[in-house]
Amino acid sequence: MIPRIVVLADTAAQVVRPVTREVCTAAQRIADAVDLPWGVIVPAASVTGLEDIPTVVRVDTLAEAVPDVRASALTEVCRECAYVMMAHTTGGGDLMARMAQHLDVPLAADCVGLTVEDQQVRFVRALYGGKVLSTVRITARPIMATFRPRSLPSLFVGENCAVTQTVSVELATPLSTVSQVAEAVRDRLDVTEADIVISGGRGMQGPEQWGVLEELAAAFGPRATLACSRPVSDNGWRPRNEHVGQTGRAISPDLYIACGISGAIQHVAGIARSRCIVAINKDPDAPIFKVADYGIVGDLFDVVPALTAAIRQLR
Amino acid sequence: MKIAVCIKQTADTETVPGLDADGTRVLTDDITWIINPHDESALEVALRQVEEYGGSVTVLALGPQRVQKALREGLAMGADRAIHLRCERMPNDARVTARALKPILESEGFDLVLAGQVSVDNGGGQLPQRLGVLLGWPSVSAVEGLEVDGRKLTAQRPVEGGREQHELNLPAVIGINRRIGEPRYPSFRNIMKAKRKPVIAIEVTLEPSQLVCEQLRLPPQKTAGQIMTYGPGVADRVAHLIRSEAGIVW
Repeated sequence: MIPRIVVLADTAAQVVRPVTREVCTAAQRIADAVDLPWGVIVPAASVTGLEDIPTVVRVDTLAEAVPDVRASALTEVCRECAYVMMAHTTGGGDLMARMAQHLDVPLAADCVGLTVEDQQVRFVRALYGGKVLSTVRITARPIMATFRPRSLPSLFVGENCAVTQTVSVELATPLSTVSQVAEAVRDRLDVTEADIVISGGRGMQGPEQWGVLEELAAAFGPRATLACSRPVSDNGWRPRNEHVGQTGRAISPDLYIACGISGAIQHVAGIARSRCIVAINKDPDAPIFKVADYGIVGDLFDVVPALTAAIRQLR
Repeated sequence: MKIAVCIKQTADTETVPGLDADGTRVLTDDITWIINPHDESALEVALRQVEEYGGSVTVLALGPQRVQKALREGLAMGADRAIHLRCERMPNDARVTARALKPILESEGFDLVLAGQVSVDNGGGQLPQRLGVLLGWPSVSAVEGLEVDGRKLTAQRPVEGGREQHELNLPAVIGINRRIGEPRYPSFRNIMKAKRKPVIAIEVTLEPSQLVCEQLRLPPQKTAGQIMTYGPGVADRVAHLIRSEAGIVW
């Protein structure tokens, strides 16, 4: 039996990605309110990382399936569900959009929150890059939603209480082939996943200066990663997937440190959901200071190494 | 090759949207309208393809009369023709958009349908995949690199912690990310030429949306915190505040 409320697991290299647990939080809240069972569907036979989740359904034939095949197969698995949810990663958003069209229902995509009231579930979406919040309700079934990483707390249930079942599905003929070009370059967390994000702007003056930011990130340890503003990626100083802002990626880390970033409205929209913002800029009138919890006016090439030393001392 | 580029007219990213009193509508009077940046890059990809290998580029947009401006801008960039699917409102549900686009994409006999990966206003990122499913064509979105070899496409996209390469055959739907490259500016000559290019208007009736927007609100404004001028002890103080006041641990 497939639970009526399902979370589709996001996996990487046979391990369930931590964002999956954030969606489990949504599933449990909905399950408590509408009194339906919930569980996680894993698109492989041997994925680890869900040992404490009460109900896990493994779909053993999907491990190597390409997105279109995976989407049609999971559509059949989830057809009778009341709720189907997943993390809004590149793969998650992609899979859920395909499934929603197979099921001919809407998808509340990239949600940043949910409310549950009188058995009525509403989703919160960030529009205009986060400048407007929208509360939406879905009148079709199943109700489908994806959640932006780090928008919900992670759910940990208990130790090794999983009831696992395995289902097999028939696979359609693939319409495309997919290969990994750079296999899981996991030396650093993705900007959407990291607890702490160190970001550089035009004030960095050039790509050769990034060492100071790398050292600050290293001082915080493995939970920190690097990001940048749009002029930096436009100039080719840093890879474009590090660009945060309205035309780049929206992030909500615990701590965001903006170094030499003036704070254009598009950039601020993409980082405004960070829990704590620290700004370092030599221009006291830089708009970034208007949204910073802590600001240091000064030359970043003096400030950042001093901050790195101070952060190290507190480790 | 006959290429369609689905473009959406969106608010300029400089826009600070205002809401009406009961929070049901974004005030649009003062908005500067642009082509969604990702769609603009999709159009650039299409134009380069046709410049090199021949064919035609059709830009399509759904929405009220104002979206014709976006179509004219697309023509000025170099598209050959434009199709305006005219309706009273802009849909807020990608299912409705995809279903409204399907008939024309089918009847026109396009080889390749391009669209931006996501719109910077509504931001769901669903249209390319939904069109792929509806048309029964292969699709891939968030594409940052695309090569065409006859009827074979090779698309690259980043995924969390890696990169994927997709190989698909035409006809196909590709969702383009702005990161694939900046679009061209229309030349004066092309702006003038665009005025003589056809914009075909087709009335469409949108299906009712099953995604109901109940309320819009502005996020809580962040207020400036403690701003200090750099000097001895300032870095230590901020590090301590990050830990003790903001409660960040590392």
